[in-house]
Amino acid sequence: MTAVAVAVASLRRVVRDRTALFFMIALPLVVILIIGATVRGFSTFRVGVVDEGAGRTGTELVAALQAAPDLRVRHYPSVGAASRAVARGEVSTAVVLPRGMDTDLRAGRTVAVPVLAERANSTQQAAAAAVAPVLAAQGARIQAALFATSAGAGSVDQNLERAGRLQATLTQVTVASRTAESRAQTLPEGFSYSAPTMLVLFVFLNALTGGTLIIENRRLGMYERMRAAPLGPATIIAGEALGFVVIALVQSVIIVATGAVVFGVSWGNWPAAVALIVTWAVVGAGAGMVSGTVFRTPEQATAIGPALGMALAMLGGCMWPLSIVNSVMRQVGHAAPQAWAVDAWTALLARGGTLGTILPQLAVLAGFAAVLLTLATLRMNRVIR
Amino acid sequence: MPPALVVAGKDLRQRLRDRSAIVIGVVAPLVIAAVMSLAFKGAEQFHFSLGVVDADHGPVAAGMIRSLQSPGVRSVLDVRAEPSAAAASAAIRSRRIQAALVIPAGLSASVGGARPVSPTVLTSVNNALAGSVTESIVGSFVAQLNADRLSVATALAAGAPPGAAARLQAEAARLTIPEQLVDRPLGARPIRVISYYSPAMAIFFVLFLISYTSRSFFVDRSQGMVERMRAAPIRPLDILVGKALSVFVFGLVSLVVVAGLTTVLFGAYWGSPLAVGAVCVAMTISIVCLTGLVIALARTQRQAEGIAGALVFALALLGGNFVFVSASPDIMRTLSLFTPNGWAMRAFTDLSTGGGGLGTAALPVAAILGFSAVVAVIAGLLGRRAVTA
Repeated sequence: MTAVAVAVASLRRVVRDRTALFFMIALPLVVILIIGATVRGFSTFRVGVVDEGAGRTGTELVAALQAAPDLRVRHYPSVGAASRAVARGEVSTAVVLPRGMDTDLRAGRTVAVPVLAERANSTQQAAAAAVAPVLAAQGARIQAALFATSAGAGSVDQNLERAGRLQATLTQVTVASRTAESRAQTLPEGFSYSAPTMLVLFVFLNALTGGTLIIENRRLGMYERMRAAPLGPATIIAGEALGFVVIALVQSVIIVATGAVVFGVSWGNWPAAVALIVTWAVVGAGAGMVSGTVFRTPEQATAIGPALGMALAMLGGCMWPLSIVNSVMRQVGHAAPQAWAVDAWTALLARGGTLGTILPQLAVLAGFAAVLLTLATLRMNRVIR
Repeated sequence: MPPALVVAGKDLRQRLRDRSAIVIGVVAPLVIAAVMSLAFKGAEQFHFSLGVVDADHGPVAAGMIRSLQSPGVRSVLDVRAEPSAAAASAAIRSRRIQAALVIPAGLSASVGGARPVSPTVLTSVNNALAGSVTESIVGSFVAQLNADRLSVATALAAGAPPGAAARLQAEAARLTIPEQLVDRPLGARPIRVISYYSPAMAIFFVLFLISYTSRSFFVDRSQGMVERMRAAPIRPLDILVGKALSVFVFGLVSLVVVAGLTTVLFGAYWGSPLAVGAVCVAMTISIVCLTGLVIALARTQRQAEGIAGALVFALALLGGNFVFVSASPDIMRTLSLFTPNGWAMRAFTDLSTGGGGLGTAALPVAAILGFSAVVAVIAGLLGRRAVTA
């Protein structure tokens, strides 16, 4: 019971501190919103379009590009603006529809459609490759109309219309697609990506900066006073640990609830999600207590804590999926507990995993928690005595 | 020595003695840049391995495979032969390849007939782009086959004699679709993760100077330092200029050191040194003004910490220090231009990709200085009491 009183005292200090509440609750939610809205498009290319006065063919081509499922089209007024956008990465490539394109094609002249892409830049080349079949489908009708006209049958306009009708009915050589691997290795896009990863990031980061609570207690001689109360070291340490766990849990519950209600995140199998949240809260508590005993001043904890928290989050796949980094860094990343937590969330959210599925990750996280809490207990023991 | 310089010198000495300032100003952005540099080494450009199962062995299959090895495509994918569709699927599941193309037996023979068979792309949910790029490349090749078939059908439908079908087919096979994509080089470097996030992290951590300095101002004031300085007697203006100067020097040195070290250690490219310097100076001036604003707004140390903390993260989130702002929705890109760091990130993006010198940096620098001027005026109007109180 006394340990609970120690925990409650810590919690009361946090609740009264509006700055701490901002970092604990408001900031993670805003970050989830921004990253959720931004981190999309792993499966689409953004393509710019500059229409220099191409005419009807150009307008039809833009409509066809917009209808392509793997392309998202943005319009630019000039080649200069489109080039800047490609260079900045706003779009992966841009297509320039040249002036007089429609007239030239109908007159039987071949039209070169410039696509802004560097030969050596594979992302730009891949986006250009995605544009090509859309252009080719349109070009097929024109080729057919010109061919039929040159064979002495009908005008270009008549044959264009005829080719359009035939294209819809003629059996074509198609490219079929079949999924060979449906076990997702990454979280779904959008908020289902940002909410669990930022939960992992902020619970840990918050705990690291929360080490200031212990540092301030040390400075103010609170532990000497508690010892005089008299409280044993075990009670004090248990109380502090409990405080950290409760703070992490409260923060997690708020993020999970807001994620579910506001951002529509489905957190997967509930027993598994609860087990993961609790285990991660204990890992965070261990890290927070280590931070409180290793750092000497609150400034150190608030300076080094966020940097360390962010670096581990990046290594552990909170900022980008570990599947897109090189294999060495994927393995190195798993030295951070964050990687195991994100793996577990991926199993739950992307593959419909259950408690049984994530047991290996939970076991590793429990190991991290045990090591951190043991270290924290040893350090706290020295601080208190 | 002018009193302002003495105040600045004392503040700087104090800051350098505190190791956490060095950690925030230099070590933290370097550590994060290092993590990014290592994580994306060799994985930054889009590239995948494509398995190809050729059960056709005919001329159409050969043409299709050649289209997957054309010069433009070669940077995007490498082709690996697979014995069967089952083997290709297994290779996808073991992540040896990211997608596969199965060319069925009889494709070449069926293309001229009424019921052509179709090639199949095997995909993985973990690399949807590899699948769709393969479909696009094969789709472009197939489009020519379809265009030729459509040409014959249109000619026949338009009234060409049915007996001419074989001749028309032979003629159509020599056609080329009259719209062709041609690469137009940009003359710009691709944007690299390390070149974006080095300045992003350097600026993010320098923004913490706002928290740090405003906090220390109130600590000084609670300890009666401001009164003692005024009794010296130093004018309030000198105290302000001194404090501002120390923030400016520390911020600028931190940005420049991180720029230098990320360039040398991780191969980041920030842009032409003169232009980079101009943006760094403007960005640091905005930090000085924002610090003044926080001091003017807050009444206590706790308030200063709260306002500064919220301000720093709001700026970093909106300005694109965490997310790659160019790829964000339009609203985010517009919002980023209401922040000085958003303009700085735009400048660094343009400098590191398009090259260019002071001309490229001119608009962002002007925008940052304009923002700073507005903030300075507001801080000045609100803040007389902060020093005179």
